[in-house]
Amino acid sequence: MERQVNPQWSQWIGYSIRMLLFVTGLGLVLSFCLLPVLWQLVTALKPTAELVTLPPLLPTVPTLDHFRSVFMDRPFARILFNSTGVALLTTLVCLVLGTPAAFALAKLRVPGQRLILLSILAVSMFPPIAIVGSLFLLIRLLHLRDTWWALILADATFALPLTIWVMTSFLRDIPDDLLRAARVDGCTTLQALLYVFLPVVAPGLTTAVLLTFVFTWNEFLFALTFTATDAARTVPVEIALFPGLHEVPWGEMAAAAMLVTVPLLILMLVAQRHIVAGLTAGAVKG
Amino acid sequence: MVVLRLTRQRLLPSPACVLLALSLLVGHLGCHPAPPEDKSLRLVFKHPRLLSHEEPLQALLNQFRAAHPALQLDEEILPSSSDQQHLFYVTNLEAGATDFDVFALDVIWIPEFARAGWLQDVTAMLGSAELTDSIPGPVTAATHAGRIYAIPWFLDGGVLYYRRDLLDKYGLTLPHTWSEVRTAIQVVLQHEANPRLTGFVWQGKQYEGLVCVALEFLRAYGGDVFTDQGEVQLTQPTAVAGLQALRSLIADHLSPTVVTTADEEIAQHIFGRGEAIFMRNWPYAWRLLNAQDSPVRGRIGVTAIPGSNAHVGVPTLGGWHLGINRLSRQPELAWQFVAFLTSAESQRQLAIASGLQPTHLSVYADPQVQQADPSLLLFFPLLQRAQPRPVTPFYLMLSQVLQSEFSAAITGLKSAEVALQDAERQMTRILALEQKETTRALTTGD
Amino acid sequence: MHSRQVTEHPVLFILPALGLMLLVALYPLAATSWLSLRDEFPIFHISRFVGLSHYVTLWHDPRFWQSLTNTGYFAVVSVASEVLLGLGAALLLHQLFPARGLVRALVLMPWFIPTVVAARAWEWIYHPHIGVLNFLLLQSGLTTTEINWLGHPFLALHAAIIADVWKTMPFATLLLLAGLQTIPSDLYRAARVDGATGLQAFWHITLPWLIPVLSVTVVFRMLDALRVFDIVYVLTGGGPANTTETLSIYAYRLSFQTLEFGYGAALAVVTFVIILFASLLLQFLLRRVGTTT
Repeated sequence: MERQVNPQWSQWIGYSIRMLLFVTGLGLVLSFCLLPVLWQLVTALKPTAELVTLPPLLPTVPTLDHFRSVFMDRPFARILFNSTGVALLTTLVCLVLGTPAAFALAKLRVPGQRLILLSILAVSMFPPIAIVGSLFLLIRLLHLRDTWWALILADATFALPLTIWVMTSFLRDIPDDLLRAARVDGCTTLQALLYVFLPVVAPGLTTAVLLTFVFTWNEFLFALTFTATDAARTVPVEIALFPGLHEVPWGEMAAAAMLVTVPLLILMLVAQRHIVAGLTAGAVKG
Repeated sequence: MVVLRLTRQRLLPSPACVLLALSLLVGHLGCHPAPPEDKSLRLVFKHPRLLSHEEPLQALLNQFRAAHPALQLDEEILPSSSDQQHLFYVTNLEAGATDFDVFALDVIWIPEFARAGWLQDVTAMLGSAELTDSIPGPVTAATHAGRIYAIPWFLDGGVLYYRRDLLDKYGLTLPHTWSEVRTAIQVVLQHEANPRLTGFVWQGKQYEGLVCVALEFLRAYGGDVFTDQGEVQLTQPTAVAGLQALRSLIADHLSPTVVTTADEEIAQHIFGRGEAIFMRNWPYAWRLLNAQDSPVRGRIGVTAIPGSNAHVGVPTLGGWHLGINRLSRQPELAWQFVAFLTSAESQRQLAIASGLQPTHLSVYADPQVQQADPSLLLFFPLLQRAQPRPVTPFYLMLSQVLQSEFSAAITGLKSAEVALQDAERQMTRILALEQKETTRALTTGD
Repeated sequence: MHSRQVTEHPVLFILPALGLMLLVALYPLAATSWLSLRDEFPIFHISRFVGLSHYVTLWHDPRFWQSLTNTGYFAVVSVASEVLLGLGAALLLHQLFPARGLVRALVLMPWFIPTVVAARAWEWIYHPHIGVLNFLLLQSGLTTTEINWLGHPFLALHAAIIADVWKTMPFATLLLLAGLQTIPSDLYRAARVDGATGLQAFWHITLPWLIPVLSVTVVFRMLDALRVFDIVYVLTGGGPANTTETLSIYAYRLSFQTLEFGYGAALAVVTFVIILFASLLLQFLLRRVGTTT
């Protein structure tokens, strides 16, 4: 009988504590992630004279000069186009090549499976700085210097291991009966992959797309070495060109950083919906 | 159940279709760059963004274009970071690149590139008339095995900035030795109430700038890296005294501890906010510190790098040269271009417009230049004694050793003596490599 | 039974991916390995075979051991922090709350920023004089002098670690969140019926399910952390006094600043071997953890 005294109270307190912990936790995570980004935004809006003085923390008169300068003084629109194009195509290449490979390694019996997976992983174990020289020789040999394809080839090669590993790990989780059932229904292995497995493993697929896209978008070393003009130059290299000999235009660089992250933010918001859609459309378990 | 689900699936998830279509469209648009102009001759000039406004350089390039209508002159910009440029040049030149013809070189790379066979011998470009009109330091720095491999374009050298108002307030004269600098700092700091005021800011980050500063101290006390015969003399008492003097600035709180992470920009900010009495930097800062909205506008001066009681001060030489790719497909045009861009007339135009120190003595004597930018004349006498860092093909190897050891000394991880001993040991090993190779080449007839 | 069609052969599924990697990656990897057995000094015009002498020199090189220690410390602290924080963030973001999609996207923002830009941004924050971190510390009275974040031998490496954790935590969050979403909810329902607490459910359901994704996350993050270059180089350049010099920075210095190509290649091969062993060890350990829970 005594245990029944105020059951609602203890439930309410337990709920409140959990709620408080949740909100605090979320707040801390958001602060940690966003405060430096917000600081970049503030820096981008501060007039140049105020950049080097603290206080004031916030700009007295916010200005769009830095944003304007980013587009006016440099071919930034073209550079954004380059980055987007290279990232999209690299992601496409990784998906088209990586997904079948992951499927084979996860679901089909492949001789030397573990060794193959390890070799694929080994490709990402060399420090990029050590191979950029010889990779550059290869690019020159193929007459691809200062083109999109130089970057697409290099980035796709080094992003493939992650794509394959992520997809393999997600595909492994799906029970083998699905493949057997699909075969019973008359699918070829390829059809099984495309029509049965892919929709189910949508979260993994979307994750792989995001990983590859962001990796390529942010890649710096190859872009610096293989490009020479704005025909193929990507955003990170362009931003590296902002500083003069001894002057660092903090305002412009912050503005460029903001401009560069917005497309990715949009991409993420769009991709979110697909993760959810994938889950509700193709659940097979149970 | 599975059969039902199977027939309900569409061909491909629709976002993937969109991704595919978008990629193909963008790929098609982007993979076809604009067709190059139909000119048979093409000259490519690679350089970092040296000026905050590109118009003066563009004007010169257009002049050259007008004089050579059949030529397509393209410029390709590299990041301003000296390291990133070096990375680019090494990767490309080692691979035998012919994509660029003329490029801007940091003064310390010239012997290295020359020895590796990447630069065209341009000794003939500097005739006797040119040589007499050139400041000697930059020419020496570009000389390797008796031949010149790059033409001086801009001069740079260390100078000491000071707060004229503070020195005047306490009746202090301009310091000529580092001890006088120390005394001046102590007097001012004792009487000034501003807690954020520091004594002397300089570049102490572990990078090339630190070697420039440290060499100025070593040489002020009569030390140096090499003797005239090319032997390492870092452990001489003079060199140890110099490095100890540098270290003691931080230890005695005459320099803030943040100098150990400071480069030119950080030092300039601290001094520019009025929070330092002295600053060691390059001439470029003068324009920025005297700009309209600078807090120290009109309150600062520059003087030569101090020495010690026994030796006069020796600023470290910096600067940029122009070199020609030995594998250039247009050697004659490249030659003409370099001669044009480094000529007294071009340097005159660039000096008036942007304040970069010319290397032709005649430009300094030009009254139009003097009127347009008096600061050029201000720096001219201060840079007379500027000496280059060791002019050797393996300077960058040596610099790596020096950067580490100097950084260890000023952060207190090692004493000045131990740091210099370690540096000397490593440098001797590097030099032995060269001697071994020279002997080997002689004996095997390579 | 089924007729063996062409599309049935599993090797054909792997061939395109392997083909690309062979075409593009094999030559540079092989060239670097071969280079490590040679003395290549363009400025001395030396080009000859020296066998394993570079590896012997490396063994006796104190700068190598220092960079190895720096890199190891950086990698372990950084990856552990990222994965733990990432797991916490993923658990939080897995709950249902309004604007969850937007919050998830916002949490990923650090990862969207290009590394060199992020490094510059943190350099700006750590700026001893006009950086906001010192400003806030001084204003709030937590410190009385400007802290030399990037110029103090001990602080510099940790400053770089914080910047790296900030930058890459979203990567871990993303992967772990995707992993969390594959856990069937019936398992939790069944656990609740059996009277399990939240913590027990986490330990016996969530973690075991996450082991595969956790493995991928930890292994790949470790691979990246052991090869770290951009963020440390921009922040400190490897200083002060080589206290933040990582294996990649040392290799960069050897190959591109001192032009000791052979020695630099040997360092790259040794880095590769170290990473190989580290990843094998990690996978082995994680598999053991997976089988015991």
